[in-house]
Amino acid sequence: MSMATPAEAPLLEVRGVSKTFDGVVRALDEVTITVHQNEIVGVVGENGAGKSTLMKILVGVYAPDKGELYYRGRRVPFPRDPKEAAGRGISIVYQEKGVIPHLQVYQFLLLGHEDKYVKFSSLQIDTMKRVAGEILEELRVDCDIESFMYELPLSTQKMVEIAKAILSIRLEREDTDTTPIIILDEPTAPLAIEERQGLFNDILAMKRNSSFIFVSHIIPEVREFADRVYVLRDGKQVAYHDLTREKVTEEDLFRAIVGRGSSEYLYKPGLEKAVGEEIALTASNLTKNSYYYDISFHLHRGECIGLFGPAGSGKSEIIRTIAGLVGFDKGSLTVKGQTVKADELPHLRLERGIGYFSGETGKELFLNWPIAKNISIVNIGRILLTGRVPVISFSAERKMAERIVKKLRIAAPSVNTDCTSLSGGSKQKVSVGKWLERSPDILLLEDPTIGIDVGAREDIYEVLLEMKKSGASMILVSDDPKEYSILCDTIIFIKGGRMQRVLSPAEFREVTAA
Amino acid sequence: MKNPARKNVVPQVLIQTLKTHPVILALIGFVVLFSALYPERFLTPLNFSTILKQFVTLTLFALGPSIVVVTGSLDLSYVGIWMLGGILVWLLMPITGMFSILVIPLLGLVTGFLIGVIQVKAKIPSFILTLSLLVTYWGITATLSGGYPRSVREYAFITASLIPHLPTAFLWSIPIILAAIFVMKRTRIGTYIYAIGSNEEGAQLAGINVDKHKILAFTLSGLFTGVGAVILFPHLGGAAPVELNLNNVVGPLVAIVLGGTPLVGGSGGPQRTILGALTYAVVYRGLLLSLLHPEAVQLLVGLLLIVSIVVGSRGLKGVTIT
Amino acid sequence: MARPLFSQGWLRRNMTTVGPIVAAIAIIVGFQAVNPFFLSHDGMITLVYAMSYFLIAACGLTFVVMMGSFDFSVVSLLKLAALLCVLYMDKLGFLVIPLALIISTGLGFINGLFVARFNVPSFMATLGVSVVVEGAALYLSKGFLHIIYNETFRSLATTFIAGLPSIFYWAIGIWLISTFIAIYTPFGRRTYAVGGNLIGAGLSGINVERHRIYVFMLSGFLAGLAGVLYMAQLGGGSMLIGADMPIPLFASVVAGGTALTGGVGGPHRTLLGVIIITWIQAGMLMLAIGRDTQMIVFGLIALGMSVATIDRKRIKIIK
Repeated sequence: MSMATPAEAPLLEVRGVSKTFDGVVRALDEVTITVHQNEIVGVVGENGAGKSTLMKILVGVYAPDKGELYYRGRRVPFPRDPKEAAGRGISIVYQEKGVIPHLQVYQFLLLGHEDKYVKFSSLQIDTMKRVAGEILEELRVDCDIESFMYELPLSTQKMVEIAKAILSIRLEREDTDTTPIIILDEPTAPLAIEERQGLFNDILAMKRNSSFIFVSHIIPEVREFADRVYVLRDGKQVAYHDLTREKVTEEDLFRAIVGRGSSEYLYKPGLEKAVGEEIALTASNLTKNSYYYDISFHLHRGECIGLFGPAGSGKSEIIRTIAGLVGFDKGSLTVKGQTVKADELPHLRLERGIGYFSGETGKELFLNWPIAKNISIVNIGRILLTGRVPVISFSAERKMAERIVKKLRIAAPSVNTDCTSLSGGSKQKVSVGKWLERSPDILLLEDPTIGIDVGAREDIYEVLLEMKKSGASMILVSDDPKEYSILCDTIIFIKGGRMQRVLSPAEFREVTAA
Repeated sequence: MKNPARKNVVPQVLIQTLKTHPVILALIGFVVLFSALYPERFLTPLNFSTILKQFVTLTLFALGPSIVVVTGSLDLSYVGIWMLGGILVWLLMPITGMFSILVIPLLGLVTGFLIGVIQVKAKIPSFILTLSLLVTYWGITATLSGGYPRSVREYAFITASLIPHLPTAFLWSIPIILAAIFVMKRTRIGTYIYAIGSNEEGAQLAGINVDKHKILAFTLSGLFTGVGAVILFPHLGGAAPVELNLNNVVGPLVAIVLGGTPLVGGSGGPQRTILGALTYAVVYRGLLLSLLHPEAVQLLVGLLLIVSIVVGSRGLKGVTIT
Repeated sequence: MARPLFSQGWLRRNMTTVGPIVAAIAIIVGFQAVNPFFLSHDGMITLVYAMSYFLIAACGLTFVVMMGSFDFSVVSLLKLAALLCVLYMDKLGFLVIPLALIISTGLGFINGLFVARFNVPSFMATLGVSVVVEGAALYLSKGFLHIIYNETFRSLATTFIAGLPSIFYWAIGIWLISTFIAIYTPFGRRTYAVGGNLIGAGLSGINVERHRIYVFMLSGFLAGLAGVLYMAQLGGGSMLIGADMPIPLFASVVAGGTALTGGVGGPHRTLLGVIIITWIQAGMLMLAIGRDTQMIVFGLIALGMSVATIDRKRIKIIK
């Protein structure tokens, strides 16, 4: 891949980096990125595209198999640990786990660097506080250095983390004119929607004396704030755009990230007819502060509604609210005419006929259980010996599981095989199989086919469409527009936690193809 | 940020302290309550010295484990270290003479280190681990002693009375308490222990060697218990019992939780534990002085434990043995 | 070509089953070799007496451990139920038995309430309850030894049927029912589900909160039943009932293969654990090894078996 070389040598250049795990999984394949003085470089890609691996190589958590690192045009070895990386001027702010809530701000800022403030084996608290105060003042972070981290708003916590990253570079750097390069790993993920803009304004202000690598899968943010953007897919660099010079649409980036154009979207006409008149679920003005606001829709019998929007738009929180995993603050949720309480536990949702199917491995599956038990757990009532006595019939359980395994073509030696030993696609099929057997009135789908191969996907779609035909209503949340085209009758476009437009499949196809 | 109303600083600090240490209010409340109920029995020098004696016992047992609780784990081995240490002193007395007492801190150090290594490497919940070890130590104590409490009188001088009505053991405990607070509040190790208790993964990401500092926390706990047991040995009569008394195990636990070190870890520590120990000692003494049946006192103490546990478990997440 | 009877892979997979069986056989053969009295009729009766009440209590604890929790109060509840029988038999007659069972089940309910409703870690909640129960037991018994003179009550445990005392049949009956519940009923399935994947259990329509309370109640009930029958077997007792029991009881559950991480094992396995532990105990008594040394052995067994059975893949952070 060639690009316009700026006059001066780039601040940092990683050339031809490859990394393989366990000798098989190729996490990174010949990736090259550059970072210039005072810019924000976006690195985008799906989960598992290799973003995190690349960043962990940059801060010395992993060693690359192959590749070269250049600093101001001079070749340097890869760092071996985060401290050495800080010495080279590279530091990272992690997505969520980085904050230590019970430390005071000054303790947190200097965590890991206390050895510089020890006199007679006692910490020099006053010096530490002074250093911490200076950096916060310089970066205009408004907070009391003696408050505990958990007392700060999340966006301020993020700023303190960035300050910590810059400070650790200052404390460890080898030469004094090092420009800090701060890696921001999904920085907005834990933030409420309102806080995100503020964080970016602060980061833009800091661009004067630092460079940022901005790792994200939220396309609008990257397009708005990055100067240049690299797209990774399956460990390879598949696209590069200089946003300061080119006009790049969100759709361009999206196409590069998922590797499909909108023209490939499948659409099976005639699905709308399956939608009945009967209302299965109603959300009215459903609000969870900081996540989503005023969501209202009717879900009809046999209908599939897709909540479509970029990651971080609040769509996942909405579906989790309906599943009973998170509560809501305002509005109401009605299922088959009955109002649902905000803090109701998930098991009551199933009694109301709502099933939840997530593609996230191990979330609803009992991994160390055999297939048969995983299928029967939501269908216990159907495998009892008699209606009255609660005794499980193993033969009924086996027959039920065998039927599902055969129908879904699950590749497993027997129904007594533990789910741990199944492939990702088969695990997902077991999950969907138990719902097929149960046939709930409403099925919630969150990333139902994430991370599985095409064949398994088609099988799962087939089952879902069959369930839909027989009257099940569905709500879908996914990162894959193709899925919306295949499954949905109505698509609600969500952005910034609010409903933007309600689209028919035909309109959706036009919008995403444009 | 400068405080505009400078003259309000003192009451503000006071309010802040009471907010973060609600146990102080409880302590004052109990003292007032008992003084009002039976002043002639409660407000005597003898009574205060008895309270102080129990405070010393509780504190010296609870100080080390409270460091472990800050990491979010539990250490129940303290009574075992005291019992086995006492018997080892008795066994060594004819051989090593007055140096024998040093075996207790050594035992504490080794025990703590051992617990830490096993917990970190074999990944057993610390509650089960230290409980099993406590029983094992009890068995060793009883086996070595032949089934009888063995007393060693030579160390009585350690707690010989210096100031009337003020237990000498209390004076000894002051430097130990200060040392524990110093370690937790003014050293790198202490900061790291708080960090691990607050967010273990985050601590790892910040470049802290989590395993090493967890082992260190257990080792410190064992060491403080061992050093404390040097005082406790003569303080509690110069002989270790051969029967395990659940109350000895539960008391310090109550002191830790009551003091306000949440079981989830990340905050609290020795400076809170002494408050808890004092409150517990006052309540216990106050109840004993009351006209309640002595056996009913244990019931109330159990209730106190339950209440403090429920309060101390707030926000507890991610414990593997739920 | 002759294939080995058991391949290495098979052995590794079934280690938690094969291990306890081999251990049990080795222990029996070993002690028999040292002391031929071990497997004589009288020796067997001693063993059966030592095992039976223990097995009943262990079945209850197994359900709790299967669910990924821990119940420290089993022994205290057993003691309280036993003491209630001896203290109030004269006043209440046989009504004292349901009373003792209701009280222990109720205390189990309180355990469950703390764990499920207030999110208190189970070992701390049950430790607190057990301190209160110990206090109550001391208050009621005043620390004295009490003797029961009601022969009908005693015959609950001591009637000999086909050469074995009736408490043996009680224990085997309870064990069979527990095993049946664990394997063949939705209740058992739910218990494994809660222990195996708490969030998944909720999403599968299980009322996790209520189920946890039920399991603690079951544990309390079985502890109470064990206490009643144990008192019938002993004919009297004091605060010292069950004093040496906690660690061997816990050891027998994990030695059977029910891991502390929950979701695996079950009462069927606990029988093996109880055989191993009580037979070691009996064997050591026979070799004149005191209860002190026994404590060392059981402490180490409890530790070793926890290490061996715990599922490290499932826990990222251990506290």
